[in-house]
Amino acid sequence: MVNPKNLVRLALLLLPVIAQAAGAAPKKDYIVTGSKPDRLFVIDAAARRVVGDFKIPGAHDWVGTIVPSPDGRVAYVLVNRMESIAGIDLGTGKEVFRADLSSPGERVKSLFAFDVTPDGKRLIVYEVPVKLGLSEYLVEPTRFAIFDTNAGLHAKPVREYPAPRRVHTLLASKNDRTFYAIGFDLYEYDIATGKRLDTRGIRHWDHPGHSRPDLLAFWPVSEPTGIFATPIYSTRTPASGHGAPVPVTSLMTLNLRTGALAYHDVEKTSALIFSAVMSPTEPAAFGVYTQLTKIGTHPYRVEKRVDLPHTYYAVLVSTDGKEVYTAGAMCDVTVFDADTLAEKANIRLPGCGDQSVTSPRLVRR
Amino acid sequence: MSMTSRAENYRGWALAALLGVCAASRAMPATAVATATTGPADGARLVRTYCGACHLPDGHGTLARIGDERKTPEGWVMTIFRMQNLHGLQLPATVRDTIVRYLADTQGLAPSEAAPARYALERRPNVPDLRLPGDLQRMCARCHSAARIALERRDTADWLKNANWHLAEFPTIEYQEGARDRHWWREASTTVPAELGRLFPLHTAAWAAWQRHAPIDLAGRWLVRGDEPGRGAYGGTAEIRRIAADEYRATYHLRFADGKPLDGHSHAIVYTGYEWRGTATLGDRAVHEVFAASPGGRQLTGRWFLADHAEIGADWHAVRAGRGPRIVLVSPRAIRAGTSARVTIFGDHLGGTVDLGAGLRVHVIHRGRASLVLQVDAAPHAAPGYRTARVGATSAADALAVYDRVDRLDVTPAFAIARLGGGKIDPVDAQFSVDAIEEVPGSAGKPQAVHLGALPVAWSIAPFDAQAAHDRDVDFAGRIDSRGRFLPAGAGPNPQRKFHADNTGNLDVIATLAPGDAGRATPVTGKAHLVVTVQRWNTPPIY
Repeated sequence: MVNPKNLVRLALLLLPVIAQAAGAAPKKDYIVTGSKPDRLFVIDAAARRVVGDFKIPGAHDWVGTIVPSPDGRVAYVLVNRMESIAGIDLGTGKEVFRADLSSPGERVKSLFAFDVTPDGKRLIVYEVPVKLGLSEYLVEPTRFAIFDTNAGLHAKPVREYPAPRRVHTLLASKNDRTFYAIGFDLYEYDIATGKRLDTRGIRHWDHPGHSRPDLLAFWPVSEPTGIFATPIYSTRTPASGHGAPVPVTSLMTLNLRTGALAYHDVEKTSALIFSAVMSPTEPAAFGVYTQLTKIGTHPYRVEKRVDLPHTYYAVLVSTDGKEVYTAGAMCDVTVFDADTLAEKANIRLPGCGDQSVTSPRLVRR
Repeated sequence: MSMTSRAENYRGWALAALLGVCAASRAMPATAVATATTGPADGARLVRTYCGACHLPDGHGTLARIGDERKTPEGWVMTIFRMQNLHGLQLPATVRDTIVRYLADTQGLAPSEAAPARYALERRPNVPDLRLPGDLQRMCARCHSAARIALERRDTADWLKNANWHLAEFPTIEYQEGARDRHWWREASTTVPAELGRLFPLHTAAWAAWQRHAPIDLAGRWLVRGDEPGRGAYGGTAEIRRIAADEYRATYHLRFADGKPLDGHSHAIVYTGYEWRGTATLGDRAVHEVFAASPGGRQLTGRWFLADHAEIGADWHAVRAGRGPRIVLVSPRAIRAGTSARVTIFGDHLGGTVDLGAGLRVHVIHRGRASLVLQVDAAPHAAPGYRTARVGATSAADALAVYDRVDRLDVTPAFAIARLGGGKIDPVDAQFSVDAIEEVPGSAGKPQAVHLGALPVAWSIAPFDAQAAHDRDVDFAGRIDSRGRFLPAGAGPNPQRKFHADNTGNLDVIATLAPGDAGRATPVTGKAHLVVTVQRWNTPPIY
């Protein structure tokens, strides 16, 4: 009798062969990152090689949030000091989409918060507009704008809806109908109608014994698991009810398929974690700042922590779960073994521009 | 324009705009004269010409926004810089100077309004800032000095426009630590402008009264004293000549106590009727002066500082010379029992017998119009404590002190910040000085601290705590010179440090007085806390 596990293994082994036979190259992991002043890089993760080095038109010294299309062919990049989204073909470097958010008399910035729907057809953009008068500015209400991704280089919103202030992360759910906005609270909206369907507390989170938390996440990474994970900070009253509150690092997770939202304490805060990513293969997450931290999720705890050569803002994990990539800040990407957190390789970006506020992403294509 | 070059331009430009009208005039003498001949009518016309394209008439005889605000000269300089840098205003330097002058004169701050926050105009380093009431501290002074807010006047409607401008120009404000814990914009657009309009309103009795104030003519002879941390007290005279309406030239004859000259000359404009802004040379150093004339025109006080290092400078006190005798400074401030020292009395009409009190024998070496140089012998058993200096019919109480030992050293500032330098951003140094103290029996048996001023100490740095020791901050953050001036290291990621950390540091600054100078068997030390931190990327005249 054939062991089903062996069948799966065989299928996985044969997959590249089948794909090649069908005329398609096997899919690989690529790291997409940006740097000042206008660069977008595509890195073959396994080969440790920069295979794409593109200049983004009209970036104006500012390369921010990166959102890859679901098929991994286009990266939508926030540029031009948050006022434009450029869609760059990751094969050719050609600009295939452009939404300049501002118009005469109105300056519009997106505060790092936008996403593409799973069908790849729409961009949902959080907009912070300001009316520019002759001798004064007027802060206008914030809004969501929906763009068609096939609108070319002069994309205009097809719909706009009111939005709360201070949204920092926007994530399309996997159902193509709704999206999440994270700010004061976690909001879920209907893409078609702009109706707010749900509000779940972040300020007033259901996490007994904890203070109101502090959360600011500019790294909308949910690949490869479909779960968005971010550190969230608070203080916790000691179980005895006496003594000073203790600073605690927790992990907030939002499953973009099921909508499940969870908070789990990780540790009494002993090292800062800026951003995090869930492992696709083991009960773990990885967090980064000046240390790389492996966080066990059954139970939640710090399993391993290593000092990094320098601060990194962003962390990615390979599709097979075997490697972790630290990026963001300065001009390199470092590869770590996901099990031991031992450094395996360092990839330097051409030109050595600062990755700064960009949000590196993992693309499989 | 990059942040760096913008900062660079701001620094050079802004100081030149305000203080360097005169700097420009050094190269082009006609400039100052041309500026001097412009009057209020020219200022009003130039404001209409250069600002009127965007600032339309507001229906009350002024232009939108411009008529709704009052600021210091520095405040108006910053406004025009912003108009140039962000809104494309182009105007010749002479026009800019005339507009600043016109606006500071007609929409400035009364002396009493500027007084609480003058330290910011004077660029005094390591001074505790004002505290704004309630949430304003968090809403405004999280980024600015509180002084910067306290040096502007608007009504509530314009403070609201100011709040709109802030969020429009800096959209990340509501996301920052210290802001995202609240609905920032709701507060910023409601309670904050209302409170600011109440605390710092456009229309005040003080300003109305100051506008009716008789003009002050500062021309004349002045007696000057001051103290430069790291160098010591200085004194002498200033001759001020009026060369145009509110424009002066000054000649300084100043000396430190050790006889080293601090002579110089200045060229200054007086804004708002009392705000003296001079560009001067003192000794071999280029300095800027930020002084204020007292409402009666009898005093001129403030601070001068190096043109390229505002944190290095000295306070300045000038009083009009009169017909009678006067003592303004005795320096050095202390003499040790059983020793001899050369002491200078600075003042005016210093004729007659000189007496420095019990246990001090005085021999006059040189008697000048504005100073007396004395040889002073302190008897071995002269009682420690303050002495009154008497010259003829005039006297100055507690003008100097006798000591027999030093009990402690107070290092000032007790807490200081220095900033790394690099690229186009100069480092910000930290200057320390000491005040030596002897405790003597006082009234009712309580010890009395006798302040002896600066004595010659050795300066060193040490780790502030175990973390600083572990990170070897002393090796990376910078060095301190023999005058107590800390010179920070260069900025940027340092591969020699863990995490490629910057050359920041957490240090003790230690002053040590040798046993022989302290009158004790062991050295006396004092220390201050110094944090060496990262660069500031913008360096406006008011932080």
